Amino acid sequence: MAWAIGANDAANSMSTAVGAKAITPKQAVIIAGVLEFSGAYFFGKSVTETIRKGILDPTMITDPMVLVYGSVAALLAATIWLVIATKFGLPVSTTHSIIGGIAGYGIVYAGTAIVNWGKMSQVVLSWILSPVIGAIMAYLIFKAFTKSIFERKDPVRSARIWSPFWIGLAFVVIGTMFYIKVLHGGDIKTGILMYGIPLGVVVFFVTYLLIKLRFPSSDPFIGVEAIFRKAQVITSGYLALAHGANDVANAIGPVAAVYAVATMGLGGMEVPVPKWILALGGFGIAVGVATYGYKVMETVGKKITELTNTRGFTIQFSAATVVLIASWMGLPISTTHVVVGAVIGIGLARGVKAINKDIVKDIIISWFVTVPVAGLISAAIFKVLMLVG
Amino acid sequence: MQVWTKLFAKSPFKPLIKHSEVVLNTVETLEKALLAWERGDYEEMRRLAIEVDRLEDVADRIKEEIRDSLSSKLMMAVAREDVLIYLHMQDKVADAAEDTAKWLLIKKPGTVPEELKTLIIQMGNESIKAAKLVHKAIVQMDRVIESGFVEGEIEAEYEIIHEIEGVESKIDGLDTELMKRVFEMADQLSWGDGFYILNVARTLSNISDKAKDAAERIRLMMNK
Repeated sequence: MAWAIGANDAANSMSTAVGAKAITPKQAVIIAGVLEFSGAYFFGKSVTETIRKGILDPTMITDPMVLVYGSVAALLAATIWLVIATKFGLPVSTTHSIIGGIAGYGIVYAGTAIVNWGKMSQVVLSWILSPVIGAIMAYLIFKAFTKSIFERKDPVRSARIWSPFWIGLAFVVIGTMFYIKVLHGGDIKTGILMYGIPLGVVVFFVTYLLIKLRFPSSDPFIGVEAIFRKAQVITSGYLALAHGANDVANAIGPVAAVYAVATMGLGGMEVPVPKWILALGGFGIAVGVATYGYKVMETVGKKITELTNTRGFTIQFSAATVVLIASWMGLPISTTHVVVGAVIGIGLARGVKAINKDIVKDIIISWFVTVPVAGLISAAIFKVLMLVG
Repeated sequence: MQVWTKLFAKSPFKPLIKHSEVVLNTVETLEKALLAWERGDYEEMRRLAIEVDRLEDVADRIKEEIRDSLSSKLMMAVAREDVLIYLHMQDKVADAAEDTAKWLLIKKPGTVPEELKTLIIQMGNESIKAAKLVHKAIVQMDRVIESGFVEGEIEAEYEIIHEIEGVESKIDGLDTELMKRVFEMADQLSWGDGFYILNVARTLSNISDKAKDAAERIRLMMNK
């Protein structure tokens, strides 16, 4: 599962940068691999916890084998559904599949009461909200770009100041997350002030100097796009990090649940996700990127021609920020859908020439289909496993 | 997740620019045909007029392709109707050039007085200018979108539109002038010559008319 996530989803985070020829596919594989792993390892815990024990009420599962079979069923169901959907070209979320799978076996085992509907509705609500927030964010950032760069007398000069600003802002988020997740700081204000802002400021000056040295101004548009072509490498990495943080849970949440049973019996419910499982998931994603993602990046990267670098930057920045914040809140959201939301947001700001409405419709339909279908498959597998076992 | 690739539909603007290149080519060839006509080189004029006809066919084919690809399934930065009507108008520019070519072919030029010839060549020059400006306008429209509808780029587009309108009114003036002259010279011209000259002039001024209509549509695209 982790391999599949790496092979397909993760590769997408870098493909715009590859498409813009900012980096080679080989470089993209290395960057994505490292950052997906880091995201999963450092920031992936909260979402994994949600997947492991937030969806079903753990006190209602008395037989440890149920948890083991159930987790296996959920993983298998998600994988099967992903394979089927991919065959039909449906853009399906791994996140939705795995949650559908977990709910599916849970309901078969103990009825609808076992599902933590409070948490479940919070999760589902976040699926609907996340693309909307992604869209609003991308819309606003794109408008800010237009005002602060393209409408200025010297767009290249403005881009030299503003692109480090946005990159710096990304690092404010990363720094704050580092404080909260890795150093286990509790106070978000301290995180922002002590880690986020200082890191952001340092990054701002470093990128500012690099850009000043590297980019002479020529035609305003070409100049601005050239700056953002390089800046896009950073947002691609940012998105890979965020993706790793959120999506690692899809693969290893159930594994973590099984592990807890295996080592502690049902008491293991209280045991947090061990670091090595996060590392395993991160490693799986990284291997996926390296072995298969290469191909995906090459094909996807070459096809994206309708996207300028400033737009690519905006989409990735918005999506990564939304996904990272969701990871911090422990909400499993779909990176795909946030990205789609961001693309639509830029479209609404009249920044994308043409968006395919059919695909948007397909995606929305897949939201409604994925959870019940993955649930049904998982339920069936669970039944079989219980009978055989 | 191949969403990335599928989400972005093919932009209609590159094909629109391609179409306008062919239209421009058509009008340029017509101008050459007019010059051959002025020189009295009927054979060369014939060859070029037939080429105008061929180029107009090419424009038509591109137009059909764009129409087929512009389904309502697209969410675009400009209204779909505006793009389609613009395309129609841009294509009409080539149509008008073809009409002129047809008139040129209809009869061997007889005795057209020099001053009328000069006026017609002037009109030809201006139509070229109009067609060139339409091409410039659609290229600029692409840039307006690229920039995310930035004030400065929109202004640059308005300037081009004003220029097109200027050219159109200039041709209108020449057209009126020519009509007056033809009737003043009614005694020196045969019925056929007069009819021929007036129709060449009419189709020539049609080129700039359609160019103006196209410009009008671009204005609407910016005000979605």
